[in-house]
Amino acid sequence: MIVNKRRRPLPLTVLSTTFVLLWVLMAAFPFIWTVWGSFKVEQDFFSRDSWWFAIEGSRTIAQTGSAFTGDGYYGAWVLRDFFSSVVNTVIVTLSVVVVSLTFGTLGGYALARSGYRYTFWLLMLALVFRAMPHITLVSGYLLPFFEMNIWGHLPTAIIVLVAINQPFTLWMLHSFFLSIPKDLDESAMVDGCSRFQAFRLVVIPVMWPGVITTGLFSFLLAYNDFAVTAMLLSQPNQTMVPKIASFLGTIQQEGNVMFAVAAVVSATAPLFVLVMFFQRQIVSGLTAGAVKG
Amino acid sequence: MPHRAFFAFIMPSLLAMLLFIALPIVSVAVQSLYVEHERVVTEVETCAPFAGCTTETRVDAEATEKLRDAEPLGRFNGFGTYLDRNHLATAEMNAILTDNAGFADVASRIYNLPFYRALAFTLTYTFVVTPLAMLLGFCIALGVNAIPPFYKGPVIFFSLLPMIVTPLVGALIIYWMSSPQGILGATLQSLLNDSTLSLKSSAVLTWVTLLVYGVWHNAPFSFVVFYAGLQTVPHDTLESAMIDGANRWERIRFVVIPHLMPLATFVALVQLMDNFRVFEPIVGFSAEANATSLSWSIFNDLRGQVDQLFGSAAATSMLTIVGVVILLSPVLVRTWREFNRR
Amino acid sequence: MAEIRLKNVSKRWHNFVGVDNFDLDIADREFLVLLGPSGCGKTTTMRMIAGLDDISEGEIWLGDRMVNNLEPKDRDISMVFQSYGLYPNMTVYENIRFPLRVRKVPKELHHEKVMQAARMVELVDFLERRPAALSGGQRQRVALGRAIVRQPAAFLMDEPLSNLDAKLRVSTRAQIKNLQHTLKVTTIYVTHDQIEAMTLADRVVVMNKGVIQQVGTPTDIYDNPANTFVASFIGSPAMNLVSGDIENGTFRGPGITIGGLQINVKGPVTLGFRAEDASLVFEGGELGAEIYSMELLGEATMASFRMGDQLVSIKSGKEYRAEIGDVVHAAIPASICHLFDARTGVRIARTPGN
Repeated sequence: MIVNKRRRPLPLTVLSTTFVLLWVLMAAFPFIWTVWGSFKVEQDFFSRDSWWFAIEGSRTIAQTGSAFTGDGYYGAWVLRDFFSSVVNTVIVTLSVVVVSLTFGTLGGYALARSGYRYTFWLLMLALVFRAMPHITLVSGYLLPFFEMNIWGHLPTAIIVLVAINQPFTLWMLHSFFLSIPKDLDESAMVDGCSRFQAFRLVVIPVMWPGVITTGLFSFLLAYNDFAVTAMLLSQPNQTMVPKIASFLGTIQQEGNVMFAVAAVVSATAPLFVLVMFFQRQIVSGLTAGAVKG
Repeated sequence: MPHRAFFAFIMPSLLAMLLFIALPIVSVAVQSLYVEHERVVTEVETCAPFAGCTTETRVDAEATEKLRDAEPLGRFNGFGTYLDRNHLATAEMNAILTDNAGFADVASRIYNLPFYRALAFTLTYTFVVTPLAMLLGFCIALGVNAIPPFYKGPVIFFSLLPMIVTPLVGALIIYWMSSPQGILGATLQSLLNDSTLSLKSSAVLTWVTLLVYGVWHNAPFSFVVFYAGLQTVPHDTLESAMIDGANRWERIRFVVIPHLMPLATFVALVQLMDNFRVFEPIVGFSAEANATSLSWSIFNDLRGQVDQLFGSAAATSMLTIVGVVILLSPVLVRTWREFNRR
Repeated sequence: MAEIRLKNVSKRWHNFVGVDNFDLDIADREFLVLLGPSGCGKTTTMRMIAGLDDISEGEIWLGDRMVNNLEPKDRDISMVFQSYGLYPNMTVYENIRFPLRVRKVPKELHHEKVMQAARMVELVDFLERRPAALSGGQRQRVALGRAIVRQPAAFLMDEPLSNLDAKLRVSTRAQIKNLQHTLKVTTIYVTHDQIEAMTLADRVVVMNKGVIQQVGTPTDIYDNPANTFVASFIGSPAMNLVSGDIENGTFRGPGITIGGLQINVKGPVTLGFRAEDASLVFEGGELGAEIYSMELLGEATMASFRMGDQLVSIKSGKEYRAEIGDVVHAAIPASICHLFDARTGVRIARTPGN
């Protein structure tokens, strides 16, 4: 605690509370507004006259007979086949998380336990790799992938996302592994385990919190990615984010921008749930890197 | 850990990084030296009754395709792509610098060159958003730290949303709200009493919108890290500062901020790296008319409607990578020195 | 059951020498204590025996096997770690059973062996608990139980008592001594606490800066320290060391004159004697000075004097009382004195007949 609450002057309390309230409003309002608006018709949510229509929903009532309508969702999910991109997203994100964690726990463990100098250089290299803009890497993939005929498939995007994810995953898991006492795997090895057995039987069972936290961030990276999925996946294999981007090109002209709004809300909902359930892990994950790195 | 075991453990991860990060960088470097084949052109004579014979030049699609299949990289161009008008534009720069009408003229003419336009926005975004987002995050952290514990959970929940949300989606949400038909845009219009006001209409407004979006999106990260840092401020030091007579501000200035400094360095590093690749907001805000970034230029070349300009995209990529290395170099040099001192 | 031989073992990291030319034979069933300040290489020596650190030079033999290139699991040893290294996700029972499980000991033997080990370390009532729900002493005993559940060739113990409070340390020390006696397994025990070393060891190896200083029985190293390092490390308080000059068998230091020493030594030396061997007297004696500080130890009273830049302590009976600043005298007969080379610190042997 920074300050003792009892001795805090009132104006300061008022000021800081107002500030926090203002920030919460800034952070939350766009989402609440968009979720609300996604159940309206375009003439309400994008009203040329007054945004008050979006709250009353008068046009929505006029057009559909009720103050709320699922037309946007129907249009996106059914008419525009948003559903298949949801399936693709599930496949891609789950695979990326599983493979990233498998590679990352092995590598992070090795980096945390080896005392040699090259671990330092590998971590530095990972830092440089971490800084590479994804789109520059994508421009390196396209031509070779076309030539090898592996462009457009889900597995290609998955392995690419795993690789792009590795530097971050390695850093994070490395710092989690450092927090597990060395004594643990060493006693396992003296007790009769090989290095890998010690890793699997003794270290991983106590690493779950770290693995889950890192998994969340792998998930977020794969889920939120636009550069890789937009450029490396063919039309039928598209995941949600590039699908939404493609809505902008086609739907906006047709006047069905509400499809995009509904798709955006659909894509954000899982993230809401994620933050709700894993808030603690996300916070600890963000700080784990900071405290150790 | 012996070398063999170490490499066995790290192999999958290392292999993935080498194949899909290191190798693509090499691939980009090679591609940047090549440029697309020109189209194979043939002259065709068509004779129609009554009109006589005309020769016209036609693109021989088949021959072009064949040439592309044989040499997919294109033809060798050396550093030509780097120097052309769409990249470093050496010739144009020379012209501007030798013959101009003062500083404003130089600036505006350079700004009209695509690469420098993108660079200008990218750098502005990186170096404006990073400090502002950190400052805002720090203030939120101080504020949240002082509210009753019961409210902290929900406040942190809402605070995380702008950061966790998909960047493209977040940008779209703000874009829709700030369009003239959206709640923010309409409110601004009525506040300023200007019914033609649109955030898209001028370059300055577009930039401001993008920067505000950047701060909104990035502040939560600083907030979370600083907030966690505040929980570990040494109680004893704080109390001895109180006994030594430091007031509230002095305690923040001499105890809290020094304690958070290492965290701030880390946050700054991560945010500089992330903001330098700013890309999704430009797509989300459809802002390319007024603001482009290096990442967006690459994307645009690759997405080309007619042809994908691999050479051009690769050259911009290489220049971007150079930028990243320059950005990282203070950190790398410092780490290297510290490491050698050990 | 095996003897352990270390042949000229060294450990280097870059240009830092951790252990230098360690050469020692450890007999079967011996209780050997490696003693030294932190960073002296004692733990590194043990970790090389366990196979947790590579050996830069030399050979380690366990019984008739050269184990340099064997994995820890193939060396047939068990080890108790300083912070115990318990598996937090397993119960006490599973912790103790773990070595049997991974070493593929037939399943039907597990329960009996675990229970036997648990009885020896008095953990039968806690078998279903996890380490987090145990006290420090109980955790320590789980680590011991895990070490003794099978019959290894040797026990290695890395400061196993350092995380316990003072009272528990005494009782666990006794338990370890008793276990080793019952099981008759070669034991190597690392500590920086000289009392543990004196009470437990058959033989003590005193180490400093990676080099063996002295190997001997506890009595040996207490009564005849090989150099000033051992003299100042063993005993509580440590041996008094006074620098001065010797000529014709008479030592002269600041405020101290002692006659009757070796006559064949001449020049600057360091003279050492133990606080409990000297005594305070009313008059005469070899030392006379103002008391710098008085400490009541319970079983004795200790007076300290500032001689030049050194502090000299002398123990007296528990009823002895004096004030700081009083001038008192002390008897330091030549028979309790040790002489060390002033430059190298090596003991100067007493020639017979002197």
